[in-house]
Amino acid sequence: MVIFKDIKKFKHKGSFEGWAKRVTVNVALQKFRKKSIIRFDDLEESKIPEEKVFIDIEEKDITLNFLLSLINKLPPQYQLIFNLYVLDEYSHKEISEILDISIGTSKSNLSRARKLLKKEINTMKKLQL
Amino acid sequence: MSKDIDKLFKDKFKESKTTAPTEAWPVIQAKLKMRRINRLIYTFSVLGFLGLISFMLFSPQTEKTLSKPLQKNTSLKNEVILKDANVKDVKDVKDVKDVNVNKDKLPVSKPQEDSKKLYATITTKKESKNNTTKFLYKNNTKTSKKTPFFKNKLGYAISEKVVKGRINLLGYSLDSLDYSVKKNLKAERKKRRKKKDSVDDAKFNNEKRRRWNVVPVFGALNSGRFSENVSTLGTLRAVTYPDKYFDDNKSSGLISSTYGFNVVFRATNRISIQTGIFSKELRFLTEDLFLSEFIPDVNPTNIIYNPGVEVRFSNTPEIGGSESASLAQTIVYLEMPFELKYRMFGSLKFNTNIIGGFSFLYLNKNEIRAKTDIFSRSIGRASNVLTTSTTLNIGLDIEYHLSNRLVLNSAVMFKKHYNTYKDYNNEYSPYNVGMHVGIGYKF
Repeated sequence: MVIFKDIKKFKHKGSFEGWAKRVTVNVALQKFRKKSIIRFDDLEESKIPEEKVFIDIEEKDITLNFLLSLINKLPPQYQLIFNLYVLDEYSHKEISEILDISIGTSKSNLSRARKLLKKEINTMKKLQL
Repeated sequence: MSKDIDKLFKDKFKESKTTAPTEAWPVIQAKLKMRRINRLIYTFSVLGFLGLISFMLFSPQTEKTLSKPLQKNTSLKNEVILKDANVKDVKDVKDVKDVNVNKDKLPVSKPQEDSKKLYATITTKKESKNNTTKFLYKNNTKTSKKTPFFKNKLGYAISEKVVKGRINLLGYSLDSLDYSVKKNLKAERKKRRKKKDSVDDAKFNNEKRRRWNVVPVFGALNSGRFSENVSTLGTLRAVTYPDKYFDDNKSSGLISSTYGFNVVFRATNRISIQTGIFSKELRFLTEDLFLSEFIPDVNPTNIIYNPGVEVRFSNTPEIGGSESASLAQTIVYLEMPFELKYRMFGSLKFNTNIIGGFSFLYLNKNEIRAKTDIFSRSIGRASNVLTTSTTLNIGLDIEYHLSNRLVLNSAVMFKKHYNTYKDYNNEYSPYNVGMHVGIGYKF
């Protein structure tokens, strides 16, 4: 709806697809800010572990619905940053600007989100076995 | 196999990502550009229109200034004097001007004076090619060139060239404005029509469950015949006065009623089919008749008299004296119409339909009454009315939606009867015009 309403604001600079995507993300963020008071876990940048989280699983064993349910189970602040970073491919700098938080906060919340997701997937694996 | 959790999510989401067709984006962009162009056209149209308005606001002032009576124009005076004097020199002109014009006495301001001078000189130029006028014209043109545009508007000076140029410009602006406005209007109308049709279609699709409509109908109708002849009494000669024909007696229709119910099925957004069952009454009155005593074996009319009735209709009085009477004929049919309704235009509340179709009629009642000043009595029936006949129907129907389920129907119908009488061709068959009203229930 917002895209249709604000279509006049599209300046024909860049692709329409990109503009539409940006509007969608911004609207989603606005809604999110309005509905919930999100408290991000602040950490000093030095304490932030910039590590990747690996999991021992076959991709075919996991369904998309299951992954979606895992994301929905995450606390809102983790969910938001995980979605922006992993699925929408924003950088930590961009996320920090969008959400008005520090880069460190973004990184720490992402790290915790990853860990929580790993824990949930492992639990699922155990249950299946 | 160990896998990066980010990659796991990304890959899984990519697999299920539904993307719009690649050709969709350029199409959307092209359409957006078109909208932008349209908006530009619209903006220019508005600007053009505003320009025109402002031109029109300023122009009359100039014309007014220019077209003041020339008798009071000192410049013209100058010119006339110049003509007379046949002055060829600039200096001379100035001299003459100085001599003849007392500026203090002039009621007009300087700008007005200048423009008057111009007008006079232009006019004079057209009339004669006097050297002096040429000079004056040149002189004024020079002045106008030095004067800014807005000053010209205020009436300081306007050159003929500038005026012509502006008129041409205005002409072009008007043409382009006219063209763009017409184009926009046409496109807008087309768009609205399409939008309305799509809304109607959507509405129809939503209402598909309520396609049927049952409408109890009551109506009043007036009947008549295109021919003036009396069908009931026949064309035979009268008994007492053989030169008199019953055809001479004119019959007229009377207001009668109809009632029943319609069943309407909405086949498409625009077309509906309707049928139903009605009781329909036709009434005619034939006046200037007489009731004569019964004469055995003489019955020149199409009336089958009831047993025991001792009088007969005649169109001439008997020598012994007859009672004047009128003949009231009532025919009641059971009617089953089969009609198509076509929705011409309408809104959410109102719909207007045209109706066309035919009806089957079955004779239900056939009565002839004798009416005098004293009594009205059923005396028989017409022998020439066929049991079955048909009508051709056309009409206009208006629907008003009282609610989602209830519809108020009102229709004006014209029905022409065919095959009504045994011994008459369809020329004598009646017609009727009726107004039907009913409240329908949709389901």
